[in-house]
Amino acid sequence: MSDSTNEAAGERVVALTVNGDSVRRLCPSSRTLLDFLRVDLGLNGSKHGCDVGDCGACTVLVDGIPRLSCITLAVEVEGLAVRTIEGAGPDEARIVAAFDEHVASQCGYCTPGIVLCLSHLYSEDPAADDEAIRQALGSNICRCTGYTKILAAARAASQREASQPAQGGSDE
Amino acid sequence: MLPLPTFEYAAPTTVLEASRLLGTPGSRLVAGGTDLLVSMKHRLFEPRLLVSTRRLGLRGVSVADGVLSVGAGTTLREVARHPTVLEHLPSLAAACRTVATPTIQGMATLGGNLMLDTRCLYYNQPAGWRASLGYCLKREGTVCHVAPKGRGCYAAHSADTVPALWLLGAEAEFVSVRGVRRIPVSSMYHDDGMAWLRLEPDDVLTAVHVPLAGRAVGHRKLRTRQAIDYALVLVAVRAPVDGGLWSAVVSSVSPSPIFVEAATPADLAEAAFRACQPLSTHLPAATWRKKMVRVEVARAAAALTSA
Ligand SMILES: Cc1cc2nc3c(=O)[nH]c(=O)nc-3n(C[C@H](O)[C@H](O)[C@H](O)COP(=O)(O)OP(=O)(O)OC[C@H]3O[C@@H](n4cnc5c(N)ncnc54)[C@H](O)[C@@H]3O)c2cc1C
Ligand code: SF4
Ligand code: FES
Ligand code: FES
Repeated sequence: MSDSTNEAAGERVVALTVNGDSVRRLCPSSRTLLDFLRVDLGLNGSKHGCDVGDCGACTVLVDGIPRLSCITLAVEVEGLAVRTIEGAGPDEARIVAAFDEHVASQCGYCTPGIVLCLSHLYSEDPAADDEAIRQALGSNICRCTGYTKILAAARAASQREASQPAQGGSDE
Repeated sequence: MLPLPTFEYAAPTTVLEASRLLGTPGSRLVAGGTDLLVSMKHRLFEPRLLVSTRRLGLRGVSVADGVLSVGAGTTLREVARHPTVLEHLPSLAAACRTVATPTIQGMATLGGNLMLDTRCLYYNQPAGWRASLGYCLKREGTVCHVAPKGRGCYAAHSADTVPALWLLGAEAEFVSVRGVRRIPVSSMYHDDGMAWLRLEPDDVLTAVHVPLAGRAVGHRKLRTRQAIDYALVLVAVRAPVDGGLWSAVVSSVSPSPIFVEAATPADLAEAAFRACQPLSTHLPAATWRKKMVRVEVARAAAALTSA
């Protein structure tokens, strides 16, 4: 809870955990969490896409909930737990395996964000149906795949018993 | 790369301290940051000091005496999932779920939504884009590209939760160094794209109070894609009680949401159509958006009648 206000103007100490490791760095107030991860910590798994909240390539989990790191200040996650794709565990590995099997990743730029969003979705709803998957992935843009294979992979990674065929939903 | 401008940052622990800091020129509150930080990347704002709401204790939902009170720092995701909201105020839950994307709903706050800046095709753009057009009245320029002969700025009110909260009879509670006051959401806004909020810079929105015994309200949002996009037309419609009138609030067509009443759903749709004069603040044709006001109000009313 210490309020680190004594640093030179505009710079603050940020202490948080990243993928389970404690991290403490002096950084400018204007540093985004995305730059903090990529530049200060060298974790390049979170991607720099649109930079303005549109695409989801920069998604990370903060205290387990997806957040766009390009429009999050590093100082605003002080004291919280950040997980990036580099911290992938067995849950994410299962999703990544489904992506491999269904060739759901081409350039791969959108993949880390999508895997983390799906991992969060399955943590709340292990048997998420197509509608729930589509809703969740409304946060992420893919320029390569046309989404069909991403949906197929996501469906395979969901623990649903009987898989329903994909159908033209209202969002197409 | 759209780097943020530099600024100082403070995370006070009391609302009064926050209000005091906001009283100094060039300071701004940051809650979820989902609009403010994008706007700062576009150089629409270059605050000297950002005052964070995160330690103000404004997060959480409570219910007492038939009123739901939502802390201004509660995320839209939390509001949309709250059992009382789902049971008694489904239109508020629906409105929260139409904002941006599920990821943004987990970051964005209800307070930030009520205080959202007005939006326009010529304003919500990177600095270089705006510079090449010579900027516009709302920021740094001298002409309005939407209405060059008009009398000001027509940037559109775009906050998804406001039409529903308006018809639900919600009140917003503000705290400043001058004291505490409650303002109905229906009287928070001016029809001026540059000065759309009837508030002072040091007013901190602390909570939104929504009566649970309200009447049935329907919410509809017309947009290009079913995720990410802001509304082209946003409507909320309220059914009458005891032979009273139907009401509608239409947003995204002018700087303040527009309220209309009528005896029947058909008259309501017609009244809304006549009251709204959308301009070219959005890419799709304004004439089409005007026609869609009638369609969306009629659809929202029909959904309430069949419910
Ligand atoms: C890609 C994208 C799509 C979006 N789509 C939509 C959409 O469809 N509909 C929609 O409504 N919004 C949309 N938004 C905007 C935004 O996400 C929401 O309006 C959100 O609710 C804003 O809340 P916030 O907490 O992030 O506010 P911030 O960005 O932190 O703040 C917004 C404004 O409110 C002020 N403010 C915040 N909290 C308070 C307070 N407690 N008291 C006084 N002032 C305060 C800030 O100073 C600032 O001026 C979108 C944003 C993005 C990036
Ligand atoms: S309505 Fe005119 S002045 Fe206002 S933001 Fe748009 S172009 Fe600028
Ligand atoms: S890079 Fe963050 S949403 Fe696109
Ligand atoms: S695989 Fe290239 S953006 Fe999705």
